[in-house]
Amino acid sequence: MNSKYPDDMNATQRLAQWLQDILITPPVSTEGLSTPAPTTPKSAGSSERDTQLVVELRDGNYHKRFYQQLPDFALALLKNDEQAATRYAPLLYHLAGCSICHQSYLEIYDAMGAALYPREPRPILGQGTRTLEATPQRILSHLCQTWITQAEATLREARHDGTDENKAARVLLQAAIQVSSRIKQETVRQQARHDLVRIATLFDDPATSPTQTSSVSAEQVYTPVLAGPKGVTRRGETTRAKEPQEHPTLVLQSRSLEGTIIQRGQTLELRLQDLNASLRGHFITTSIALGSLIEPIRWLGGNPRAIRSATPVDESGTLVMPLGETELRLSVPEERNLLEATFLLLEIRAIE
Amino acid sequence: MPFTANDLRYHAEQNYPLLYAYLHRHAQRYLGALRYDAFEVDVVVGHVVEQLVRLGLLGAADTTPLCALDGLTDAQFYAFLNHSVKHKAIDRLRKRRLQVSTTAELEGPDSADMDDNPLNDAVTSIWGASPFSTPEEIAVFLVTQNALRNLLKHCIMVLGSAPHQLRAVLQELRDLGADDLLQTVTEEIASAKKTIEASENTHMSQHKDHAHKKLRHCLQERSTNLTVTIALRLTEYGTRAAPTSPYTVAVHTLMQNTLIEQDVRTGLAQLVGEGLLDWQGEDVVPITTAQMKRLSRFYKEEWN
Repeated sequence: MNSKYPDDMNATQRLAQWLQDILITPPVSTEGLSTPAPTTPKSAGSSERDTQLVVELRDGNYHKRFYQQLPDFALALLKNDEQAATRYAPLLYHLAGCSICHQSYLEIYDAMGAALYPREPRPILGQGTRTLEATPQRILSHLCQTWITQAEATLREARHDGTDENKAARVLLQAAIQVSSRIKQETVRQQARHDLVRIATLFDDPATSPTQTSSVSAEQVYTPVLAGPKGVTRRGETTRAKEPQEHPTLVLQSRSLEGTIIQRGQTLELRLQDLNASLRGHFITTSIALGSLIEPIRWLGGNPRAIRSATPVDESGTLVMPLGETELRLSVPEERNLLEATFLLLEIRAIE
Repeated sequence: MPFTANDLRYHAEQNYPLLYAYLHRHAQRYLGALRYDAFEVDVVVGHVVEQLVRLGLLGAADTTPLCALDGLTDAQFYAFLNHSVKHKAIDRLRKRRLQVSTTAELEGPDSADMDDNPLNDAVTSIWGASPFSTPEEIAVFLVTQNALRNLLKHCIMVLGSAPHQLRAVLQELRDLGADDLLQTVTEEIASAKKTIEASENTHMSQHKDHAHKKLRHCLQERSTNLTVTIALRLTEYGTRAAPTSPYTVAVHTLMQNTLIEQDVRTGLAQLVGEGLLDWQGEDVVPITTAQMKRLSRFYKEEWN
């Protein structure tokens, strides 16, 4: 007899226990998976609990394919559908081994029961905040993080199953960008967009991604500089000091180098200075990783992952090149935030 | 203007403030003494919001299939949200009560709060009446219901392509005393003219681990359930004109509400692949007497 199972168990109980042992979902390696957004530094005396609201379920500890069947399964059970167990047999086999999905099943079953067979007066809708602006920004950040991590779960599951869920992931990421653009506080907005670039480029098509195909790594990688209060950058420079006020700008940085996106009318123009000597005299290609997520930008050449400069980098290391046209305005905070998301990762490399 | 499940699916950005306001108000209501703790309210609201995203509703537009939540009336949907808030609030109250029990707050909440405290309604488990309330209960259900146990039998047989792994699992069944299941599988092995080597298995633990992984994957695959369901329906609906003629069953006969023609054909093709049928895609499936006997023995027989 198998010593793992107590002698007082009958054969059925032992078989059930054996089956459950087999079905227990092994812990997934967290390597390469999303990590919680960094929190703002805690104030002295704050407890461990008083940190930002974090996403509870992340890819690897819940199973989207089964999770999304739970309302239908609960409904079938509540309606006494005799075929429910056999129809949802794979889900049942999953629930026997996954405590997180099982806990969610219990919760959803009970809530569906309360919905179909009310045990208390129907809740009524009351007045409340009606705009995103009036909704707490930390809550909006949490919503964005939930969408972003859901996009990751969607992409990973699709890759595992050999299906194409790019559109589904794209819808979620676009929603995260749109809502995060309504967040005024820069640090909260940054938290809301944590992991956005990584997940948006998780399984890039090599055919459209210069990063994947080029044997030459990017010469420079630029990200937006967070402007602090009164337009002062983190390094103490005034973002508007370098450019005339009539042309709103978005400041980018790459280590010690700085660049700007300048809007002239509807045209977005990239201006880079002090580029490496190796780039001088060369034409360059600019890749905007999230360029295809926001649709209202008409990129020069049509592909935001490979925009070629019309002129080479000059002898002083300066390059000015148009990137595309848009109705979005850098001078309008919300639209500026959308453009900021678009330029979360800008890479340049020399054209051989 | 109230929001609906449809609004949350297709117009999340516009309707999220309304959803938030609704969840916030009910979170405060159910959190009782913690109602003014902004973090706790956030945790409850965040939990329900996350659930709606994970379920493929909030902001998913038409990229996920409609589910039961989409079919609820507005009042039912609010009741669903309301109950989800209540569950999480109770969960947080329980957790905080455990935490405060180690501090000076051990004296407990003042009596004025007790009347409104939702924990008072939750002395016994609020999920006590739910079917499949524990994973253990599900496991027993899976091994005692014929239709569900068929998946386990099927997946054990699929291990036949890796005889060492199959032998490791058969040894486990023997050790468990699962004689009925073991007998059914060994009879099927014999009828399929497969042989399981009796040689010394020097890497039993490794084979067992690999077998378990394959079984876990197989048991949770929709295609497995499809194959087993079609096999069972063949045994139920197969008929023959005379005692000596082969059985036949039309493809459309095998269909049912949740089983469309494509599913049926996929399941039939898998049975062909496993050597249980000779079917070339015709609208009528021929089944020899021997095949029907084998299918019936394996998928239809009730466990003693």
